Amino acid sequence: MRHRGDEMSEATGNVVQLMESPSAASTQKRPLICLDKLSKHYGTHTVLNSIDLDVMPGEVVAVIGPSGSGKSTLLRCTNYLEPPDGGLVTIGDITLNAEKLAAPAEVAKLRRSVGMVFQSFNLFPHMTVRRNVSLAQERVLGRSRSEADERSMQLLKRVGLTDKAEQYPGRCSGGQQQRVAIARALALDPEVMLFDEPTSALDPELGLEVLSVMRELAETGMTMIVVTHEMSFAENVSDTVMVMADGKIVEKGPSGQVLRNPQQERAKRFLRAVHDR
Amino acid sequence: MSIADLLLILRGLSATIALTLGAFLIGALLGAPLLVIRESRLIPLRLLAMTIIQIARGLPPILWLFIIFFGIGTGHFRISPFGAALASLGLISAANMAEIYRGALGSIHSGQWDASSALNLGRWYTFLDVAAPQTFRVALPSAASYLIGLMKESAVASTIGVTELTFYGNQQSQLTFRGLEVFAMVGFIYVLLSLPIAWLSRVADGYLQAKVAD
Repeated sequence: MRHRGDEMSEATGNVVQLMESPSAASTQKRPLICLDKLSKHYGTHTVLNSIDLDVMPGEVVAVIGPSGSGKSTLLRCTNYLEPPDGGLVTIGDITLNAEKLAAPAEVAKLRRSVGMVFQSFNLFPHMTVRRNVSLAQERVLGRSRSEADERSMQLLKRVGLTDKAEQYPGRCSGGQQQRVAIARALALDPEVMLFDEPTSALDPELGLEVLSVMRELAETGMTMIVVTHEMSFAENVSDTVMVMADGKIVEKGPSGQVLRNPQQERAKRFLRAVHDR
Repeated sequence: MSIADLLLILRGLSATIALTLGAFLIGALLGAPLLVIRESRLIPLRLLAMTIIQIARGLPPILWLFIIFFGIGTGHFRISPFGAALASLGLISAANMAEIYRGALGSIHSGQWDASSALNLGRWYTFLDVAAPQTFRVALPSAASYLIGLMKESAVASTIGVTELTFYGNQQSQLTFRGLEVFAMVGFIYVLLSLPIAWLSRVADGYLQAKVAD
């Protein structure tokens, strides 16, 4: 994390600028993502219970925990796919207050720097793979068709799918679809990538090809929050592991420490169940 | 029943086809904005669209025909029988197509909306690039069966004197006193007309499914 973080601060002007601003002069480095007492309720059910989380530039955070613990909701609230109902979300220099109704333009600004990858891929089935990656570049960034396609082909090369560019997603395997989804999210040049159980719908072999793309992405210094059940990814790729249960963070720390030597009873119980399988 | 009788009935073919396709085209086009209003975030607009749809679909088609032809059409506002029939069936089909589109829109996987939001496409491009093409694809079979239904519905236009198939069938049956044969022939023509629609719908559906293969 440390050396990757350094690369990152050079790579993104945004972060450097923030660190030079007077208000941040005292802190050595500012987090890229900052969740402050983030809460979300469905009726009387509390899904997220006052979550505090700082993610530094270049940091890879793996979020693990039992089903229904609020892991996915945490990601979906981070980019306002589901508006939280309490707390603050800060990404880069954009802060949204959940107490206030966010204007669509504000939400769009926040999402500008965030890419997201879903468990069910969610590619557009009526478009070719290349079109899937190009569409938002044209519509959101205003790139020309040829600029967008050029960038799409670069990204498809990076995820190893140049030969699938003209296929429809339905003709691709799950692993290929997920890699296209990663390319599609990267096409908007995000500073942060959110992964919501990206390999849970895939068999182990196909999952592996997605994980290797994610590992390469982490090595380039991308800031990532990854909700996952892949313990080897959590251990080998992520810097930080966070265990969630019942809408709360029960334990958070360097990945090796949390996975091998958890301190909290709830985290121990979950990790024992993982290891016993 | 002679060939001559058949030819006399077939004079109504063009009016039946024109009325059916015309009303369907009006419905397919107006149904889209009606759906957009129906799904608007502004509650008064939604209520307006829901009311229009309910009333347009709630009244019997023949009643709409009479309202427009004998009601509206008898003041300063002159309207031909064909125009009145086209307006009535067009209105009814707009409401029905809006509902067909709405059903198809509802069948789109929620992940498509998630992906569109996460990519920041915005409401307009999400509709244009993501929702509309998939809605169209899903709506196609229902729209085709509605078109066949509409063709049969168009027979009510004979009651206000539109010279379509049923009108000439009625005329021939009264002239020849051979109602059973004449109307059986008319029925047979309607069935023949519905065949290419059903066939085209299947071909288009198969093509789109093969392309997307999901």
